[in-house]
Amino acid sequence: MNNKQQVLSTDVLVIGGGIAGLAAAVTIKETDSNTDVLIVEKQTTGYSGKANRGGGVLQYFDFNRVDPMEFVGYHANAVGCFLGDQEQMLRYVKMNNQMIDKLIEWGVKVPFNEDGTLKIIPTGPMTGMIGVDLDITLQVRRTAEKKGVKIIDKVTVSDLLTNNNEIVGATGYSLLDGTFYVIKAKSVILATGSQNYRVINMWSNGRGDGIAAAYRAGVEMRNAEFGNFAQLFKVKSHHELVFNENVLYNAWDENITKNFRWFIEADINSTAIAEWYNQMAAGRGPIYMRPEESPMTQDDEILFTTDAIWSRPYGLKLWKTIYEKCHSVDTDNEVAPGFLGEQSPVKVNHDMETTVGKLFAIGDVSYGGSTVAGAVPAPPGRNRGSGILNAVFAGMIAGEKSANYAKTEGSAVLEEQVKACQERAFAPLNRKAGFTAKEVIQELQAIIAPVENSIYMTEQRLKIALRKLDKVKAKVSELKAEDYHYLLSCHEAEAMVLSAEMFFKAALLRKESRGWFLREDYPATDNENWLKWITVKDVNGEMTFGTENVPIEKYPIKPRRAK
Amino acid sequence: MNMNNVIEFDKDKCVGCKLCYKSCFVDVIRWDEETKKPVFKYVEDCVHCNYCEVVCAKGCIKVVPDFKGERLHQTFDKYK
Repeated sequence: MNNKQQVLSTDVLVIGGGIAGLAAAVTIKETDSNTDVLIVEKQTTGYSGKANRGGGVLQYFDFNRVDPMEFVGYHANAVGCFLGDQEQMLRYVKMNNQMIDKLIEWGVKVPFNEDGTLKIIPTGPMTGMIGVDLDITLQVRRTAEKKGVKIIDKVTVSDLLTNNNEIVGATGYSLLDGTFYVIKAKSVILATGSQNYRVINMWSNGRGDGIAAAYRAGVEMRNAEFGNFAQLFKVKSHHELVFNENVLYNAWDENITKNFRWFIEADINSTAIAEWYNQMAAGRGPIYMRPEESPMTQDDEILFTTDAIWSRPYGLKLWKTIYEKCHSVDTDNEVAPGFLGEQSPVKVNHDMETTVGKLFAIGDVSYGGSTVAGAVPAPPGRNRGSGILNAVFAGMIAGEKSANYAKTEGSAVLEEQVKACQERAFAPLNRKAGFTAKEVIQELQAIIAPVENSIYMTEQRLKIALRKLDKVKAKVSELKAEDYHYLLSCHEAEAMVLSAEMFFKAALLRKESRGWFLREDYPATDNENWLKWITVKDVNGEMTFGTENVPIEKYPIKPRRAK
Repeated sequence: MNMNNVIEFDKDKCVGCKLCYKSCFVDVIRWDEETKKPVFKYVEDCVHCNYCEVVCAKGCIKVVPDFKGERLHQTFDKYK
């Protein structure tokens, strides 16, 4: 074990170098160029995260055509199902054009028409979509560095340091040589992404270690039960499918889409996943799609593998490579769900500040916890093109606020706490016997990924899942690692177990179905009892749950029968 | 999670630009500072995102996904 230690000081520490962290870092420098900003990223800033691997689209609102409140109304009724913070959603929509201008200013490439206007595809009566090239995070990294943001890559943050419920820094270690880092900061911004449980490839980089570090530091969580996103994938290639839930057939050639979709919806709904399960359980599988039957799916590749609609040269090469490899094995159109998770439960207020003072959480780590979108998992949250912009939205808000904290005096770092964090972090390296991270992660995946456990749930199945999870949880204190790469895997495995426990326990409490959240045993939405957010917090080592009433009385859009 | 993807590497074509190392978002690729070449050290963690292959201007990397070995972890035998 390496005994080297590095002690660093900065005004603001940004943990995570994806689009949220980068947007925050640049905003801090734009607010006050004298503020010291340090990004610490466990892989490489600019390549990490999802913005450079995702769909490459930005949601767009044409304010000549749509009033922001109209979208908030649609969203509250059809997507957030009255569990969303309507004030924050209104703020997000109003900032849309400003955020796109900012991204362009930061060097991000978006396609324009010949007359200089943005090349927008209408995606519904209220929204449009703009393509964005996949080098988005690389461009913003360059801008951040030009503005004086410091970046350390290949260092993972394992714990947050607090003093009297206020953030004072963080500890971590180098993946390359194990150097232990103590980073003192007047404010910290957590931008480490959602929990994706490493099941599906593109999402596999969000492993919840930031969520777990926040939980251990006493940060309250919220909406943990909305961490269960899934999509349909081609069975042979596990290639992601978008909008194909509109054209699903069972082994009897019956169109099963009509069982769960009564009108055209913006995106996949969990009801499609439940129907897949019901058909399979009734012996009517396998399920196939017929993409040629819908205009939304028949030519969906054009957008990615050609520049016919948007010119995105950087992404084009990647998409072409992926599609070609998938085509080489996709001999039919059989589909099955792939579990993505997208749990994003770190609770934040309108300033993106957590329940620990001067600690902010932005992007996919706090999407659910912010309640901005209500009864959906992290972006897209049935709102395609909103992922990158939500990260930028949260980053800009937190960046400005944290720059103010940089002017204040920070509290002291407690040496005892640092020592305990170091011992905890390196413990798996010192174990001769025990379990590997892979064993634990695979056992956990087998519990959380089946759709009947995490998407179409019952009390009985949730309780069985929790009993199985208890056995996996017992192995966490016996995880062993042979080097720093595997040490990180151990910490990620631990974080996954924590996320799963929060998910299953919160899901048991919510005795209703709402939005994405489906209980087979409680199929109705219960506005009498469940216009509530479920909170989770560590209290003296116990996972403790509570509820907060959604302040529906002060929101403009109310459910029809709410008192 | 699948541990059987393969990464083919033609070291003679490699010019040591380091982009494959930087682009790997799951720490599969390490960098050998002496030889100025990538080391594919943790291939079992590769998720075939294909970035290393695509960013390589010299075309020395090929990611060969093991599609059959990849698991969806659904309960039905076919999709375990």
